[in-house]
Amino acid sequence: MEDLKELKKVEQHADQCMKCGFCSFFCPVYQEEKVETAVARGKNYLAKLAIKGEQKFTDELGEIIGKCLLCKRCVVNCPAKTQIDRVVVAARAEMVKNKGLGFVKNFAFRKVMANRKAFGNYVRLAKAFQWLLPKTEGNIRHLPDFLKALGQGRNIPEIAKTFLRDMVKPVYKPQDGKAPIMRVGFFMGCAVDFVYPELGMKFIDFMTKRGIEVVVPQEQSCCGAAIYFSGDFETGRMLADKNIEAFKDVDMIVTGCGTCSSTLKDYQKYLPDNPDQEKRYKDFEKKIKDSMEFIIDVMKVKPEELKLKKEFEGKTVTWHDPCHLIRYQNISAQPRAILKGLKGLKYVEMPNADLCCGMGGSFSVYHYDLTKKIAAKKMNGIKATGADIVVTACPGCMINLIDNVLQNKMPQKVYHLLELVE
Amino acid sequence: MLKESVINELQRIVGKENVLTSPEALKAYSYDGTTSWIREPDVVVFPTTTQQISDLMKLANAEKIPVTPRGGGTNVSGGSVPWLGGIVLCTTKMNKILKIDKENLTATVEPGVVLQDLTLALAKEGLFFPPDPQSFLGATIGGIIAENAGGPACVKYGVTKQYVLGLEVVLPTGEIVNLGGRTLKNVVGYDLLHIFISSEGTLGVITRAELKLNPIPPAKKTTMVVYADVAKAGEGVFRVLENGVIPDKIELLDNWVINRIEEMMPMGLPKDADAVLLFECDGIPEAVEKETEKIVDIVKKYGAVDVRIAKDMDEANRYWLARRAGFAAVFGKAKTVFAEDVTVPRGKIPDLINKCKELAKKYNVEIVVLGHAGDGNLHPAILTDVSNQEHYGRAVKAMDEIIEEAVALGGVLSGEHGIGLEKQKFLKRQLDPVVIDMMKKIKALFDPNNIMNPGKIWE
Repeated sequence: MEDLKELKKVEQHADQCMKCGFCSFFCPVYQEEKVETAVARGKNYLAKLAIKGEQKFTDELGEIIGKCLLCKRCVVNCPAKTQIDRVVVAARAEMVKNKGLGFVKNFAFRKVMANRKAFGNYVRLAKAFQWLLPKTEGNIRHLPDFLKALGQGRNIPEIAKTFLRDMVKPVYKPQDGKAPIMRVGFFMGCAVDFVYPELGMKFIDFMTKRGIEVVVPQEQSCCGAAIYFSGDFETGRMLADKNIEAFKDVDMIVTGCGTCSSTLKDYQKYLPDNPDQEKRYKDFEKKIKDSMEFIIDVMKVKPEELKLKKEFEGKTVTWHDPCHLIRYQNISAQPRAILKGLKGLKYVEMPNADLCCGMGGSFSVYHYDLTKKIAAKKMNGIKATGADIVVTACPGCMINLIDNVLQNKMPQKVYHLLELVE
Repeated sequence: MLKESVINELQRIVGKENVLTSPEALKAYSYDGTTSWIREPDVVVFPTTTQQISDLMKLANAEKIPVTPRGGGTNVSGGSVPWLGGIVLCTTKMNKILKIDKENLTATVEPGVVLQDLTLALAKEGLFFPPDPQSFLGATIGGIIAENAGGPACVKYGVTKQYVLGLEVVLPTGEIVNLGGRTLKNVVGYDLLHIFISSEGTLGVITRAELKLNPIPPAKKTTMVVYADVAKAGEGVFRVLENGVIPDKIELLDNWVINRIEEMMPMGLPKDADAVLLFECDGIPEAVEKETEKIVDIVKKYGAVDVRIAKDMDEANRYWLARRAGFAAVFGKAKTVFAEDVTVPRGKIPDLINKCKELAKKYNVEIVVLGHAGDGNLHPAILTDVSNQEHYGRAVKAMDEIIEEAVALGGVLSGEHGIGLEKQKFLKRQLDPVVIDMMKKIKALFDPNNIMNPGKIWE
């Protein structure tokens, strides 16, 4: 018997929708497909029927609720303030309970990604076969995505020769040898760990240069974004508990990945199954800081005092707002303050900077054609700026931006903001 | 259920990818912007050309299958709900702006163009399409014309029918006809063009429209006027107009709505005001200044307790954002809301407001008032809960009496939403039986097999 526990938790949110249909204007998927099942109103209606037992968890329903980027543009623009993201994620959780994850996901989530060591080995295995792939630049986020994306003409990012986990020390003291002004835990995230280890080292260096002690617990795991947003709450909770345990000795946790910071903060929103869990996830949320808010709001770094790396001097730069920063965490002013304050850079705002790049985690794997169409609008925004470089702070977005910049033969280079500064 | 051969034929006409038959898709096309009118179609099709629609209508007419045209599905009358099943003909994939003609101030568009997309495209040329239904983010031109939509700006600019010069229409029997033209004046034979405007999709499918545009006025100014008595606010509306100022918008929010908006998002509205009126003047800067001054004088003379002229665009935008949030504020506070659409001659606004207050007491229900006071189109909203029979019964009686009163005051039971399913049962109160009969005969002339959006307007 279906208990519909997860959907019932969000029933009050589903009931908020007054069916005005305004979400259609903001939904990147609806804008391409123009069908009601693509938009929040349609998904929400079907979820409400499912709660009432009038809609079964069919493959078609799985397809419909799967076709959402979780970009939250509908949520922030909803006149009734319906939190459709909660409804979509809960509906996916019910799908998983009813149907199980597909084989690829099942294997990847439960066997590989949930086990940090196995994941590392698996990536290594894939790395051994890299010579099969065309040479590209960029980044990889999730291994199953990486494997599935093969053969779709996508620019596949390279995997690092040495992973961050194998480079880092457990503790980094402030470089000036003085007593630390604060002590933070560093959350690596899969992309930084396996693809962008130098970005992780860079962020650690940035902090220790400024009097901060950084600890890097080896027991930390994947944040769980691709896992619990796909509806696998069981594995999601297991990862949440692992990460909470790994970081129990620090009061603040920083990460350079916008999706990771948002995912770690939102355990309390999507995953709690009992009051004890809710409390632990809420306590954990308070510890998390994304690199952008950490640098500006916590470290109180003055952007004009930062030093731009020489190679970027005189360049024109534009900023892409990752969904997980601007809409999940309300972080948009901080990166702009840095980019505008950095001497030697010219900042240009891109039209529709907040528009989703089309990645949506595993969305881009299952709906790659749609991803490309949505990304095309992002590319138009980038072209309109005439910028030399596109900067963001989410490796997920970076993968997709790089892929699409290359496919469109555009001259722009894509960077993480941390890469720009000394 | 439709025969498999019909589905196959539909797929042949519009392409397989443009025919939806899954149970989930049919459920997603069972509703519009209303709460309680729900009925599933048998199939949803997305034509991309006029010829496809013509072929489709010929098929439906031969097979006597109901066809319900639908665009963004944002209407609030039940109009695009497929009440007798059959085919939902969805125009969202016909969404091209074919031409913007600056010389003649016209635009040629397909029916699936979303109003906001049109507004953004026109703004680049310094032009605008004045009708501004508040569903502009999702509403499509075909539906806006079929419902003869209005909005706040109608005080000065009028409603959709004043901005349609010509239409290409596919009749229920499949013929493609062109009505009207591209000129402002046109008296060649009967004005069949306007029969399609507010036909609610019962006479044919609009496949292309020639729209009349205006240049964007260079200046705008917003004034918020505070009242200690909502009926006085109602009077303020016609006093301003009779004294020679025609603002482009005059909107009203009552105390209850003001407070719900302030709870949702503090906008700086006066929480102890019984009502506020929002005025917007547009035009050349000097005229806008003068008109605003004049409004201030007039409203002060007729009972306003406070006047705030927005000092910049930010403040003005805040007031209008608050106004737009009005409906969400109402809908968020009750399980079921009757969003009334009665419209009265402007001089009767205070009478209608007083009647609403009286009925709220009589039936012990919350009746809140917001809306386009400037054109007499108030939206009294009754808050109730369809699952609470006793309360719902009282709300229904209150709504009945509001409609009764509006008609008695010389008004109409719907100003801009249309009859659809929502107001069918009131039609006889407004229209003479002979008139309803004429309408039915006209319908039969266009649609001999009654396949075009059947089940709407009359019972």
